[in-house]
Amino acid sequence: MKMIIQIVKNLPSFQYIAFFSAVIALSFIPIAKEVACAENSVVVYSGRAERLIKPALDQFQKTTGITVQLLTAGSTELVSRLRAERDRTPADVLITNEAGALELARRLQLLQPILLPEIETTIPAAFRAPDNSWIGLSGRIWMIVYNTQKINPSEINSLLDLAKPAWKGKLAIPTANSEYLQAGASMIWAAKGEKVSEEFLAGIRDNAGNEVYGKNRQIVAAVAKGKVAVGIVNHYYIFRHLAKHPTAPIAPLLTDQHEGEMGAIMNVAGIGLTAHAKHVPAANKLIAFLMSSAGQQMFSSINKEYPVNPSIKTDPVLPPSSSFRVSDIPLTRLATLREPIIQAIERLGLR
Amino acid sequence: MGRQIPLTPLSLMALGIAAVLTFPLAYVTYSALTGDLSILQRLWATRLPELLTNTISLAIGVSLTTLTLGISTAWMMTRYQFWGRAFWDWGFVLPLAIPSFVLAYVYTYLLDTAGPVEHIWQWLTNSDSRIPSPYSFSGALVVMTLNTFPYVYLLARAAFQNFNLSFEEAAYATGATRRETFFRVSLPLIRPALVASMFLVVLYVVSDFGAVSLLRFQTFTYAIYQQITGRFDYQSASLLSLVLVVFALIFLFAERWFRKQSRFYQTSGRVRTPTPTPCSFTKAIGINLAFLAIFSAAFGIPVLLLIQWTFTAWTNGELGSSFGSYIWNSVFLSAMAATAALALGTPLAYLAYRSPTTLHLACLQGAYIGYVLPGPVVALALLMVFTDMLSFLYGTVLVLILAYLVHFLPAGLQAMESALQQINPNLEEAARNLGAKGLRTFTKITLPLVRKGFSAAWLLMFLLCMKELPATLLLRPVGFDTLAVRIWLEASEELYQLAAPPALLIVLLTIPAVFLLSKKNWQTD
Amino acid sequence: MAISAEQRDPTLVSSIIETSRSHSQSPILELDNITCGYQPNVPTVRNLSLHLQPGQILCLLGPSGCGKTTTLRAIAGFEKISAGEIRLQGQPIATASFHMPPEQRRVGMVFQEYALFPHMHVQDNIAFGLYHWPTTDRKSRVQDLLELVGLQGFEHRFPHELSGGQQQRVAIARALAPKPVMLLLDEPFSNLDPEMTINMRKELYRVLRQTQTTAILVTHDHEEAFAMADHVAVMQEGVLVQCDTPEEIYQHPSCAFVAEFIGQANIIQGVIHNGQVETEIGTFPNRSDFRSDSPVLVMIRSNDLQFTPSKSGSGRIESRQFQGSQTLYAIRLKSGKLIHCCMSPIPVYNIDTPVNVQITTAHAILFQQPALS
Repeated sequence: MKMIIQIVKNLPSFQYIAFFSAVIALSFIPIAKEVACAENSVVVYSGRAERLIKPALDQFQKTTGITVQLLTAGSTELVSRLRAERDRTPADVLITNEAGALELARRLQLLQPILLPEIETTIPAAFRAPDNSWIGLSGRIWMIVYNTQKINPSEINSLLDLAKPAWKGKLAIPTANSEYLQAGASMIWAAKGEKVSEEFLAGIRDNAGNEVYGKNRQIVAAVAKGKVAVGIVNHYYIFRHLAKHPTAPIAPLLTDQHEGEMGAIMNVAGIGLTAHAKHVPAANKLIAFLMSSAGQQMFSSINKEYPVNPSIKTDPVLPPSSSFRVSDIPLTRLATLREPIIQAIERLGLR
Repeated sequence: MGRQIPLTPLSLMALGIAAVLTFPLAYVTYSALTGDLSILQRLWATRLPELLTNTISLAIGVSLTTLTLGISTAWMMTRYQFWGRAFWDWGFVLPLAIPSFVLAYVYTYLLDTAGPVEHIWQWLTNSDSRIPSPYSFSGALVVMTLNTFPYVYLLARAAFQNFNLSFEEAAYATGATRRETFFRVSLPLIRPALVASMFLVVLYVVSDFGAVSLLRFQTFTYAIYQQITGRFDYQSASLLSLVLVVFALIFLFAERWFRKQSRFYQTSGRVRTPTPTPCSFTKAIGINLAFLAIFSAAFGIPVLLLIQWTFTAWTNGELGSSFGSYIWNSVFLSAMAATAALALGTPLAYLAYRSPTTLHLACLQGAYIGYVLPGPVVALALLMVFTDMLSFLYGTVLVLILAYLVHFLPAGLQAMESALQQINPNLEEAARNLGAKGLRTFTKITLPLVRKGFSAAWLLMFLLCMKELPATLLLRPVGFDTLAVRIWLEASEELYQLAAPPALLIVLLTIPAVFLLSKKNWQTD
Repeated sequence: MAISAEQRDPTLVSSIIETSRSHSQSPILELDNITCGYQPNVPTVRNLSLHLQPGQILCLLGPSGCGKTTTLRAIAGFEKISAGEIRLQGQPIATASFHMPPEQRRVGMVFQEYALFPHMHVQDNIAFGLYHWPTTDRKSRVQDLLELVGLQGFEHRFPHELSGGQQQRVAIARALAPKPVMLLLDEPFSNLDPEMTINMRKELYRVLRQTQTTAILVTHDHEEAFAMADHVAVMQEGVLVQCDTPEEIYQHPSCAFVAEFIGQANIIQGVIHNGQVETEIGTFPNRSDFRSDSPVLVMIRSNDLQFTPSKSGSGRIESRQFQGSQTLYAIRLKSGKLIHCCMSPIPVYNIDTPVNVQITTAHAILFQQPALS
């Protein structure tokens, strides 16, 4: 025994070994972390801004007691991650802010069908995958916001008008990276063809100039301040801004409603069940919650989005969904057109 | 030079470490060069000119402004004696404690349309005129200048303090005015210090991600990040990274070359260093006001805002329990990375110093390239390596720590190298002479003597990891959001108050270390 | 404080003595035609051969860069040799193809700056080489050594708390602790002030003799070499020029370089003519076997020259330097050559005084004129 103590004492830099051992021991904590919350948790990969999805997730956690572990990043980035992680992915569900990414994930076999019977009755077929591996949760219209003091809404009939030279210097658009821009342009391509969509992109690129923003919220703010006259955003940002600043001189503008025109561009934020989910029951509970009136209500009243569940009332400030025509391009086409649209955007040099 | 140490297993270990550190970058380069080159044509036609212009003009712009700011403040500090001088001495080091993305996010608030600065400006000029938007070249210029001028200041100050007055006096004797002397004698003589600081500034600007991403200024680094997160393949991102790899290599060689060139700047004979001269009351007031303005812009106002926002967030109960877990994540990841870096860097530094064969020196140099490459490129490299091979490790903490190692080990290596250099080689020879074999010599003699220097290296790497942003964003596993990541996520949503507590925490943690480190390094950089 | 030998316990001394008496006949160290150096094409040391008997003190003497330190480091094992062989106690420890590492050589070394481990106490420094000894033996050995160098009570001091001389004593004690076969000392006194140096020289000599340690001392100071060494090896540019007892080297230097290095010597041109050596300052019999009419270099010590003031003198006093017991005059001869002359301090002669120089010895040393290169 004495010899052992002697050896240990004489060991070179005893303190270093002690320190390193402590560090190595501590390194096992994250693994322990994972194992500990095995049963009662669900792992969410979310492409939505945390502010917009967290209230619903917190409510879910409160009511069911299931812990939600959240990783927030871009939707495309998350799909790439899922693809690389394959069957070792910790993610149970994938939430995105537009359907194209979900459909792409499905085509890459990263999702599995959600086996909840209420899907058939709650979610219209247009807003979910053919095999139910993803469902839409809230709808958004990609529309125009204009400054009421600067322009007359009758000047604009179609989204495509904004590409015309008359709007030079008066337009604010999202960045080339924006999934909404990509989805919107894809819809135009699907409805009116490749040439029209490219002309549209080139036109708005020239008209916007430097007024390119990473966030919808910033486009709305720019229009409200009068920096630009019009912008293209997801509708709910307009109403969220108006809820905070009721006197702001902005208003939404729905276009392309007449006969023969493409109709309003509608997309859905949605959720999908990953193919290798480890906590399927908990994940199903989460999906069920988000589909239910409790969850849908939160999207409707807090976010000002269009609830996908037809039995839930939209917020009164929003134009009711019966009052306008939506484009009839199936959401699944967004996935097919994603790559060509990205190439077009890059080729045209949008920022 | 002929001192041999027979430790071949150690050489192999060093070689292995260097290989691990450089492999990801080599892989990115290889993939880029063997990929679809039509993408390169497309990029060249569309994005590359803009990215090149932006990055280069920002680098040049920031260099010029930091030079002006740094030299003028350093000159006034060393040549004049005025009330309050002692305060500014450490005051100008403080801006280094603020990460660039924290400063950027504060300035998006300050300079925004209808923000506080615009209100003050409109009040002052009694007009409706607008100030330049922060989301532009000028915004990036302002933020990067305020964040990096302390580097120039510190180096210029050290150079001015060690300045031999005889040169200036000789100039005066030939009839030159003070101004002429300053520009034609004093400035050129401190050129090595200026060049060294310019290298630092340029490196900082080109590899910065946090600030330019929040200010949405399209530099290479930001574009690469956007390509990684916005595309399903890494082709364009790796091609853009190629440009930065080339830049990194040029940078490394140029910097070494300059360092060698400036070695002959020894003053022989008697050296009379300047003592500060007292200056008039009005001058003292003027200097203090100017310094106050600079200090407020670079540190004072941002920190006050952070404190105010943190207080608001705290009283509103917005500091959730998750805040504690973010702190733990940051500390844990950084400590693991710093410790691993210390362990892996020791063979590299030790061998390169004690037995500087070409092989060992090459290993050391190879490790340094990771420092010069920006965060997104390092992250891309690891993403590609761990997607195409070793994919069972993808998404684990290990990959993130490896990213930290590749990126920050070189910073620690410099400190470790200098610590080793300070040991008299006779000490190790004496130990061996008395019968101690290699390992015993190392543990009983070398290690205890470098403990201080190695601890400084560990601290430096710990801090760099704490502030790291792009690699953490791209590689973090679920549940491992760090303080830096939270700041960025909240700041991108303009949730200023929510972003403030982690930001303030990082600043407070960094301040003491900045002092410790600034005392040591700037004389010998 | 140093304790004189008389006060020391003789039995204690004998316990420290290295048991190498049995090897009194065969050399303890042999350098056999060794060549070594940093760069392969420019060896620092060439074809050096030496041997050292047990208990002897050898001095390697020479100017900076002559290779003496390299030789020392080669013996210690810090330099590799590219040719030749080094044998310690008859066993080869280094050849061109074999290099025994320093930790196995059992050769103690005292470095020029002592290289004491700054983070360890004096006693840990001394005990460093004894880590495989049992604790009690280690402790008593440390005590013995502290007594030997006169530093009892200093066990718990740190090196930075000691004076230069004390540090050197600890360095010596540390090197002697593991009972090495021999001791190597690299310019041990170059870091001390002159008064300290003289004291330490005596101390070191005493310790070495007392312990009958074989030692090699490297120095550039010929006085030191003469005071300490049994044999002196003079080196120039990597080559051994002369190896002899100090007296021999002084009286019979083998070449001009040695002569100039070890003392104030004047070298003047001369010609052999009719059995005489004719020089600028005088003529004296030729006792060498150089042939007639051959030009030679004559070495005359300053002490062997005198001058008298004379209006028609061949030389002029250029400068003088008072040295206490004598004054050294520099005299410029008609040919332009500057020679030095030691005179008694009184009377004092002024600068520019014309003088006649005389040689006051019948014995001068002649060297062959080296070929003009």
